[in-house]
Order: sequence, then structure tokens, then C-alpha cells
Amino acid sequence: MFFELNDEQNAFRNRVQEIYEREVSPLVEEYERKESFPVQLFRILGGEHLLCLRCPKEYGGPGLDKISECIAVEELNRICVGIGAGIMVQGGLATDPILHYGSDELKRNYLAPAARGDKIGAFALTEPDAGSDASGIRTTALKQGNGYRLNGSKTFITNGTICDFVTVAAYTDPTKRGTGINLFIVNRDDLGFSVTKKLEKLGNHSSDTAELAFDDCFVPKERMLGEQEGGGLAQLEETLKSGRITYGARSTGVGQATFDALIPYIKRTQRHGEPLRRSQAIRFVLAEMAMSIEVMRYVTYRGAWLYDQGLASMKDASVVKLFCTESIQRIVQKAMAIQKNIGLVKENPIQRFLRDARLFKIPEGTSEIQHLVISRELGV
Amino acid sequence: MDFELSTEQKDVQGAAMEFAQGEFDPDLALELDRNGQFPESIWKKACQLGFIGIHYPEEFGGQGLGLFENVLIIEAFCRVDSGIGSALSMVDIGSEVILKFGSHEQKMNFVLPLAKGKKRLSIAFAESEDGRDISSILTTAERRSEGYLIHGRKRFVLNASLSNAFIILCKGSKEGWTTLIVERENGGVEIHPIEKMGLRMVPFGDLYFKEVRVPFENRVGGEGEGIAHVNHCHQVMGLRSVAQALGMVEGALDRTIKYSKQREQFGRKLSEFQVIQHKVADMAVSIEVARWFTYKLATEFDQERMDSGFLTMAQLDVGRKLISIVDEAVQIFGGYGYMADQAIEHYFRDAWAIAVELGTEEELKDVIADGLLGPFNKK
Repeated sequence: MFFELNDEQNAFRNRVQEIYEREVSPLVEEYERKESFPVQLFRILGGEHLLCLRCPKEYGGPGLDKISECIAVEELNRICVGIGAGIMVQGGLATDPILHYGSDELKRNYLAPAARGDKIGAFALTEPDAGSDASGIRTTALKQGNGYRLNGSKTFITNGTICDFVTVAAYTDPTKRGTGINLFIVNRDDLGFSVTKKLEKLGNHSSDTAELAFDDCFVPKERMLGEQEGGGLAQLEETLKSGRITYGARSTGVGQATFDALIPYIKRTQRHGEPLRRSQAIRFVLAEMAMSIEVMRYVTYRGAWLYDQGLASMKDASVVKLFCTESIQRIVQKAMAIQKNIGLVKENPIQRFLRDARLFKIPEGTSEIQHLVISRELGV
Repeated sequence: MDFELSTEQKDVQGAAMEFAQGEFDPDLALELDRNGQFPESIWKKACQLGFIGIHYPEEFGGQGLGLFENVLIIEAFCRVDSGIGSALSMVDIGSEVILKFGSHEQKMNFVLPLAKGKKRLSIAFAESEDGRDISSILTTAERRSEGYLIHGRKRFVLNASLSNAFIILCKGSKEGWTTLIVERENGGVEIHPIEKMGLRMVPFGDLYFKEVRVPFENRVGGEGEGIAHVNHCHQVMGLRSVAQALGMVEGALDRTIKYSKQREQFGRKLSEFQVIQHKVADMAVSIEVARWFTYKLATEFDQERMDSGFLTMAQLDVGRKLISIVDEAVQIFGGYGYMADQAIEHYFRDAWAIAVELGTEEELKDVIADGLLGPFNKK
């Protein structure tokens, strides 16, 4: 057993840290304020091969593993969760199904340009009436001639207003609940596709979130992922398995950022005439935070390692997501509470970390869904 | 012991709920929150109907009722909307010091216009970075023949940009602190607004005083008597913040119940899942206990026998519940809980602002423990 990153992975961490510091940090404040995503980053990070990390070299990616992806996600989320969200979707939910199930042609047309940053991807599963219950989606893709006609609406879609293509889940056979689903790639300029609303959120302000509509939107059959009708839900599960592990890295990154921002505050602050760092209660809180960050990191990298070995079950992925996204809440909450009024101020990153990290318990399976997944696999 | 509200109290509570439900338009609340605007017209109406300052004596625009009735109103207002409710709850916090320690003239000049909705008055005591620690006061009041000359700054002042006057704490020639009322129209007050995450309808600001003149008649009590004013103010503000928190958790529960009975997943209402039912049950239990704790303190306050140690316990208990209940409500709303146009997102931000106002767990426990174990020698 090895609990250390190897030299190559450490070098990778140093490299991404340097790139994110240089390219992302200067953008955070402006785009958080504007509540929009800095789209120029796609080309910049694409040029550095940092968009679709698991994309093989033949399609222009760096062909790295899940552990490397988690390293990159952790480092990016240390700087900005919102920007991290858009980048994460590009290399995760939007392109993973193409990577795993797409034809060579689809990989050339979508995965490769996504890895380069020439195309922006989005992923659309959730609907206004179907969140936790993915099988409850109502969007249909009914066979017509050489393709399928999509009808329905999707919501909470990251990269929604800026995407060039979106990987959409829809029923090819609405009579088969769960099993009659397929994934399709819809182009931004496909007729019948529209962005109906840009959404405002509690946090993740620099990520772009939208509501999408498909109104008799025709998609040629070549843009369906997989050869036959049905089976899309299993493809989704595989995609979510990877995505849930990524949430461990997001949580670890924000946890580290919060801790790093809090320590100087504790060191310089006097309260009621006493240095805050001498308070036993505060020292205990810091010890607990440090412990949580360490455990989150190990849980995440263990999950990523299992994934790379082809050993990760959905339960493994859910354990990572549930543990880390719950643990991070206490870290950001305590950091916020300790700083009192200073914590509330817009310029203070801690309030941003609190609002941003609050999201993690919701997407790609809420904490409640993770409980269900884990308990289902316990055999009781 | 009597755990029943009186008929009059029930009427006050009912009227406050009715007013809030009729006036606190959800779309308006979203807009005011987004733009960081005070709900001016609702405030004026609330004043006309006697909701602001219900506990002031009649000659100063009130109805001569207790702080208990004020607490009922705050609770109802914050229950219906955390933002508008808080703005109306916090607009007159400056009144308490003057009501208890001020001259008749000061009450006529500053408290009566508060009840009438003509003026606003802020408390500006602290100078520390976090804006609430008053262990160090550096603002000076130089005694001159015609009054005082003020130099200094105050931090995180509630309603800073809205208020016509500020009650400040200064160091004078005498031992202790002196409390003065600074009127903005006399000039010399610079206000630096602070943009913040929650309670966006209650603007915060830092105040800078440069050669600000304050006449003798604007001194509250005698020179060096400030500490009594601070203590009283902290009690009233503490109790009122607890009432705000109580209203907010009730509002969060109301919204959660409504949402979980509407929202369907897996072919069932959320309210039909055991896990959701138990979350709702937990919220309700927490709230029930918090409510009686709050009412007990308010009753004792009106009887002038409130134990500040118990108030600190309530601040700790209700503050924790505030964060956990609102967080759970957001969770039950799921993705919609995170969206700004749904009814719960601003509760999350406002809850944090009130939690901060109530004090940190560590500080509150220090105070409670001192009361129970005896104060330790803290150098």
C-alpha cells in the first residue's frame, strides 16, 4: 500500500497549481461579480491539456487517470468553485459518455474539440419535475426517419447558456421506465433547441447555469450514444460514478482553501483582549478542520484509485461523495461563524466558500440519494 | 405558571401575521434583496399600524405594551420573510437605550419619530474588526464649552446609510465611556457602506467621525455611564435577535412543509418518505423548544428579572438551530433550494447574518460557563 502521490503526480500537482494561479486566480472576483463564466478559459486550459484529463492522446487529451483528475479538480476548487464547476462538467459529465460510449466519429467531433477547448460541453439530465428521480424524466426522443425528435425541458444545467453541445438524457421508449433512456448529443444550433432562462444561485456565481428547452429538436441517429435504443441509464450511472468521486476532490479543495484563509485571521485577531489563537475551543476547531481535510483527501484518492483499477462500485463513489460533501459543510460553517461580521463581507472569500460548498450536497445525487445507494448495496 | 398567550397577545400576533402575509410580496422581497434596498413603503405602513415600537409608552408613539409583544411581531415578520422581516425588526434598535436612560426631550426627538416612521436611529458602539467587541473604545469626546467634539470610527453599524442619528460610545475626560447621540445633519460623519452576503435589506456601514459636534443635550445619562447602556442594549438586541432567529426557523419549516407536500419524486410526495418526515419532525421539536425559551425570556424581561445567562443560552441554542434548520430546509428543496428565485435561498444568507449577530458558539459558551463555574482569571 502506498499513501503518497508518486513523483509524476506531485509534478502534475505543482504544474496545475502554477497554471491555475496564473490563469484563473485573476479572473475570480470579476466573474463572481458578473455571475458569468470566463469562457476564454476553455481555450487557455485546453492549450494546457487541462480540460478533459482522461481523454486519450489520440483524441488530443493527455490520457491521464482519475487520480490526476482529482488532483486538478482539488487545485482548481481551491481557487474557485464556480469556475471549477464549468471546467468539471467539460471533462466529466458532458464528455464522459462520449469517451465511454461514443463512436469514433463522435469522439473526433465532440470529445477532441472539447479537450482542446474549441467546443464547450454541457450535460442535461435533471428536469423541473425530475431531480433525484432520474428515471422520472419526461423528455422524449422519438424515432423519426433517420434520427430522433427531442421534446422536453431541462434545468440546473451547468454551462447551459455558453455550451456548443449538450449531452442530453431522453426516453426513446417512454413506456420503459428507467431502461428506455438514451443519451444524445444536441448542437447549440440544432433547430428546436433553446436556452430558456439563465438561473441565479446562492453560490457558484461564476458558473453558468440555465434552463434548456427541446421543442421538436431533430437529432440524427449518429448522435445517439451507443448502438441501440435503451440502456442510457446504465451509461449515466457509469458517468455519475466518476462524477461523485470528483465531488470528493471539490470538497477537499474548498476545505483547504477555507483553512488557508482562516489561519491568518486566527493568528492576527484579538477578541475581548485575548489572542484568538490561544483559545482552547478555537484550537480544537482548527484541529478538527485539519483532520477532516486530511480524511477527505484520503477518501477521495482511495476512491479515485479504485476507479482507476476498475474496482470502484457505485457504493464506493457514493461513500466519497457523501462523506466529503457533508464534512466540508462543518468546515465552512465553523470558519464563517468564527469570523463573525467579517465573514459576511462580500470581499471575504470565506462567505463565498460557504455559499459555494453548500451546493455539493445537492447535485449528482443529493446526500439522501447517496444514503439510498449505499444502503442498497449493504445487502440488508 | 401560564403558558398561554393572552387574548391581547394573540391579537397582536394575528395582526402581525396578517400584515406580513398581505404586504411582504415574495417578488418584491427578491428584488429588494438583490438590490440591497430597505423596504421603505412597507416600513411606513408598519409604523402607521403601530407595529414598530409597540412597546414604547404611548406618549412616545407606542402602545405601552411589553417587549414580549415586540418579540411576537418580530417572530411573525421574520417567519413570513427573513429579509423584510429583519429590516422591520432592526430599524428601531436604537430606541432601547434612550427609552431606558434618555431624557424626555431625547425621547420626543428620537424615539417618537422612530414609531412614526419619520427617522431612523442606529447603535454604533463597537470599533473592533468584527464590529461587535467593545473591549476597546478609541473614539474620543472632547468637552468644549458648547458641547462635545468627536473623533473616531465605528464598525459594522446596522442601517448606517439609512439612519438620521447614531448612538455612540466614546472615551471622555472621565473614567468609563460616555454615550452620545450623533445627528447626521450636523455634518462630519462619513459612511462607508459594506456589501455583504445576508440581510441585504439592512445596510451595514463603517462610520468615520471627524470633528463632529454633539450638543450637551444629546448626551445619554451622565458622563462615564456608558457601560450600563451597553449592557441594556446587548440584552434587548440579544433577545430581539433570538426572536428573529425563531421567526426564520418557523418560516423555513413552513416552506419545507409546503414544498414537501407538493414535490413528487419516485411517484410519491416528498412528505411520504420517512427520512423527510423525520427531518420535519426534528425541525418542529427544535422550534417548539426554542419558542418557549424565547417567550420565557421575553416575559422575564418585561418583569425586569431576565437573567442574562439564560439569554446567552438562548442565543447559543437558537443560533445553532437557525443554521441547521435553514440548511436542512435548503436540502429538502434540493436544486430549487440553491436557486435565488425560490423562496428559501435568501433564508440561508439571512440566517447566517443573524447567527453572526447572536455571537459565536465559543464566546457564548465562555459566558455561560463563567456563570456556572465562576469566572476564571483571564489575563
